[in-house]
Amino acid sequence: MAATNSRARDGGQRGARGQALSRIDKWQSYRQHHQTTLKSSALKILREPLQSLLTILVIAIALTLPSALYLSVENIRQLSGGVDASAQISVFVKKGARESALESLTAKLEGLSGVASVTYISAQAARDEFEALSGFGSALQYLDENPLPDSFLVRPLLIGDATRLVTEIRELKLVDDVQLDLEWLQRLDALLDMGRKLVLALGVALGLGVILVVGNTIRLAIQSRRDEITVVKMVGGTDAYVRRPFLYSGLLFGLFGAVVAAIILTGLGFWLAGPVNTLALLYQSQFSITGLGFGGFVALLLIGGSVGLIGAWLAVGQHLRNIQPR
Amino acid sequence: MSMIRFDNLCKRYESGYEALRGVSFEMDAGEMAFLTGHSGAGKSTLLKLLMLIERPTSGSLLINGKNINRLPHSKIPFYRRQVGVVFQNHQLLFDRSVFENVALPLQVAGYSQADTGRRVRAALDTVGLLDREKHNPIALSGGEQQRVGIARAVVHKPKILLADEPTGNLDPQLSAEIMALFKRFQDVGVTVLVASHDINLINRMDMRIMRLNQGQMEQDGVSYGGY
Repeated sequence: MAATNSRARDGGQRGARGQALSRIDKWQSYRQHHQTTLKSSALKILREPLQSLLTILVIAIALTLPSALYLSVENIRQLSGGVDASAQISVFVKKGARESALESLTAKLEGLSGVASVTYISAQAARDEFEALSGFGSALQYLDENPLPDSFLVRPLLIGDATRLVTEIRELKLVDDVQLDLEWLQRLDALLDMGRKLVLALGVALGLGVILVVGNTIRLAIQSRRDEITVVKMVGGTDAYVRRPFLYSGLLFGLFGAVVAAIILTGLGFWLAGPVNTLALLYQSQFSITGLGFGGFVALLLIGGSVGLIGAWLAVGQHLRNIQPR
Repeated sequence: MSMIRFDNLCKRYESGYEALRGVSFEMDAGEMAFLTGHSGAGKSTLLKLLMLIERPTSGSLLINGKNINRLPHSKIPFYRRQVGVVFQNHQLLFDRSVFENVALPLQVAGYSQADTGRRVRAALDTVGLLDREKHNPIALSGGEQQRVGIARAVVHKPKILLADEPTGNLDPQLSAEIMALFKRFQDVGVTVLVASHDINLINRMDMRIMRLNQGQMEQDGVSYGGY
């Protein structure tokens, strides 16, 4: 008894000197608390595997849907990118144009905005090419005169500019006819544009969904740890201290969800790779699916993590204030 | 300078109920006192004001010379780290060991692991439960649980120790032991305020007794003259 008495007295004297904790001590224990909190949050997720798995799966699916759509749009864009280069406007020149007039027309065409290149094809060159490629070469020999006009091949920088260029070129002097056979490409471009907007809309909607799911999970966690929160507040735990484990839980849910989404997307890629390659082969194309990639994976982690953190933050802000010692 | 000073303090709840009506008293550093009175007399409210769970409606409350009436919300945790509280239902957490329960105030305040271990063991030694640190508190008896609660309340060496009916569920023998424990903390300079309606026990302690009645300080003195 004497021993415990002296210990209590010794402690009391130390207490009287105050609770001076050095800054280094505080910083170390702050870091340590972050580490232990992270660890215990991870353990809590593992300790309730079914509940956690459900939450993580919901997050993963919500992240997978817009990501998959995004990857599809990007892949189609790449595919159409190859066609972009072959998007050409054929400009046929009126017969009998003089050399100097042709030169000024070339300059005018090159001067239009959104034009990548202008190639002149003389009537003679067109005839030679026709002879070589069509197999009707001998038929042309019966004609006195070359029926083919001089022409230009105008390549637009962007498919979207093609229509405007066609109208502008039509108004130029000496231009007989303008042909653009790439309307389907423009439609595809518009579709891709719509696809991108859809990705954004779907992403925002499902992102909000994830925030709600994480928020609800964290709300339940807060309710089940009510006693602990009360005691921690009573013994001088700051709001930040109380908040920390729940924020880590939200962050981890988001990150795990993102990892599972990445796995699903990769699996989806492998599953589609076979048929896509067959299709590409049939079209004699070098095309193959582009997956998420490292950058995409990091982006997915960032999105998942921040959405989880936001959900937890909202839940914590709303519910922790209500839990006070009585 | 007095450690605790109530100056004409009133507390009216939102319902209109007046729990405290112009209570004034002082307690010096290292003093021990009992707070008694019928249930509803205002004992709990008085303790809640000291823990900053409730705020006074009027009057002033000075701790160590500092008025804490208007202490901002963000400063409350740091104030509470100077105060130890023992609850009637001890409020232990059953999802962790005795050691972890007692360590909570230190972790919250940012003590190092080594320091925490040393202080927790010292506190458990003081209440005589050093051999139980690894147990879950649910496996302990009522008296032992209350002692764990006391260890948690004093582990961070608070200047003030408050107890709300700490012997409410214990038999006289255990109650006397708990009170002796409080006396020991007073001996090392802690200001101890114990709310209790266990009159027999209080009378035997030969201590300052403050008696509340309908929110007013009815009696304040060493000898208990009521009843």
